[in-house]
Amino acid sequence: MVLSVCVGSSCHLKGSYDVIESFKKLIEKHGVADKIELRACFCLGRCSDGVAVKADKEYILNVNGSNAEQKFVDEILPLLG
Amino acid sequence: MSYFIDRGYTSLNHVGEELCGDRVECSVNGDVLTAVLCDGMGSGVKANILATLSSKILCTMLSNGIPINDCIETLIASLPVCKVRGVAYATFSVCLIDNDGKGRLIEFDNPAAILIRNGEVSDLPRTKSVICGKNVYTTELALLPGDAIVVTSDGVEHAGIGMMMNFGWERPQIKDYLRRVVKPNMSARAISAALAGECNELYMNEPGDDTTVLGIKVREHQTTSVFVGPPIHKEDDAQYVKDFMALPGKKAVCGGTSSQIVARNLGKEVTTSCEFHDKNIPPIGYIDGIDLTTEGVITVRRVLELSEDYLNPQDCNAAVLNKRDGATLLARMLFEDSTDVNFFVGQSQNHAHDGLPIETRMKLKLIDRLADNLKKMGKHVTVRYN
Repeated sequence: MVLSVCVGSSCHLKGSYDVIESFKKLIEKHGVADKIELRACFCLGRCSDGVAVKADKEYILNVNGSNAEQKFVDEILPLLG
Repeated sequence: MSYFIDRGYTSLNHVGEELCGDRVECSVNGDVLTAVLCDGMGSGVKANILATLSSKILCTMLSNGIPINDCIETLIASLPVCKVRGVAYATFSVCLIDNDGKGRLIEFDNPAAILIRNGEVSDLPRTKSVICGKNVYTTELALLPGDAIVVTSDGVEHAGIGMMMNFGWERPQIKDYLRRVVKPNMSARAISAALAGECNELYMNEPGDDTTVLGIKVREHQTTSVFVGPPIHKEDDAQYVKDFMALPGKKAVCGGTSSQIVARNLGKEVTTSCEFHDKNIPPIGYIDGIDLTTEGVITVRRVLELSEDYLNPQDCNAAVLNKRDGATLLARMLFEDSTDVNFFVGQSQNHAHDGLPIETRMKLKLIDRLADNLKKMGKHVTVRYN
């Protein structure tokens, strides 16, 4: 899975950096480094619902440093099938 | 052949003084640059007034083609006489140089200027003449691209007196330092900052004299065009990108939407780096055929801050610019590498940004101020709004 975190201006201000750092640790913690490729990307066009994250074709919105783990466990891991 | 005459300077204030007793004044008239460095007697307010008056008078008169004899006469008649010392006195070095690298250097009581050519450092041949009872030295200049002239106040030669060195920093050592440190790609400002920074070290951060270094460098033109912000009308995108790509030199694209527009019209993809070299600046991206792709308004705001530092003559580190974040990369490209800068500014609104400190009007203001600062650095700047 390609997991893209938006680092556009708006999402950056809402905490892209923290989200990326959290995801790096979570990928490690859950031992899924071989299944998830973490990337940054410019504006995903969902500025009002930032930080915007895209897991392959699926949008995961309103992510931030403090809910990153919950979003990761509840919404991203299940997508790995 | 027309070259770009790059100039930049760095000044250290005498320890404890708010004002510098050295003063640099530059003006461009037609294709001739006039750059003046004056050192006023003493330090602090008095020295600053003497240096300011002298540099302004010399720069204004000489850049308007008035002979040096008349300028010196005016200078002597104008300077206020010091009550303590009973004299009026400011030293000066003047460089008049046109776009072909031809011109004249006129020096009075400042250390002789140093020429840097092909990594070699040498003195310039000077001819002495006596004007109004003063010994004035003149050099006819025929500079080649890549040549740099380093003009200093005597604070450079006094650096470290009685501290790191017994007799100050002697001329052969200064030349040796320049030979070691000056690299071919350094701007005039970077050269001046390196030498002044070294003086500051020798003074152990407490300069015992006002110390100023003025660099003048002959460079080939290097254009950079910056695409920032999507145009108001979507249907103009293609033509806009075409015009942008048609310009010579390097290309930078700032902004998420802007990079999508450029990439789409070039038939390329945008990829984004995941590396934060600076937590506060979003990572850069890549588009095949574009030299630098960055995020928009946050990056530009930092570039503006860096330009303020670059223009602050007391900042000895502003020209180093060796970090790897998008803002520093863009700053280096614009301040250090470019002589001509074109901005393509799109004014389309991103409503998702309403209320955030990144909205369009804010961005336009930032670009205006950045363009002004680049002009203050002496660069040729154009701004096109779309």
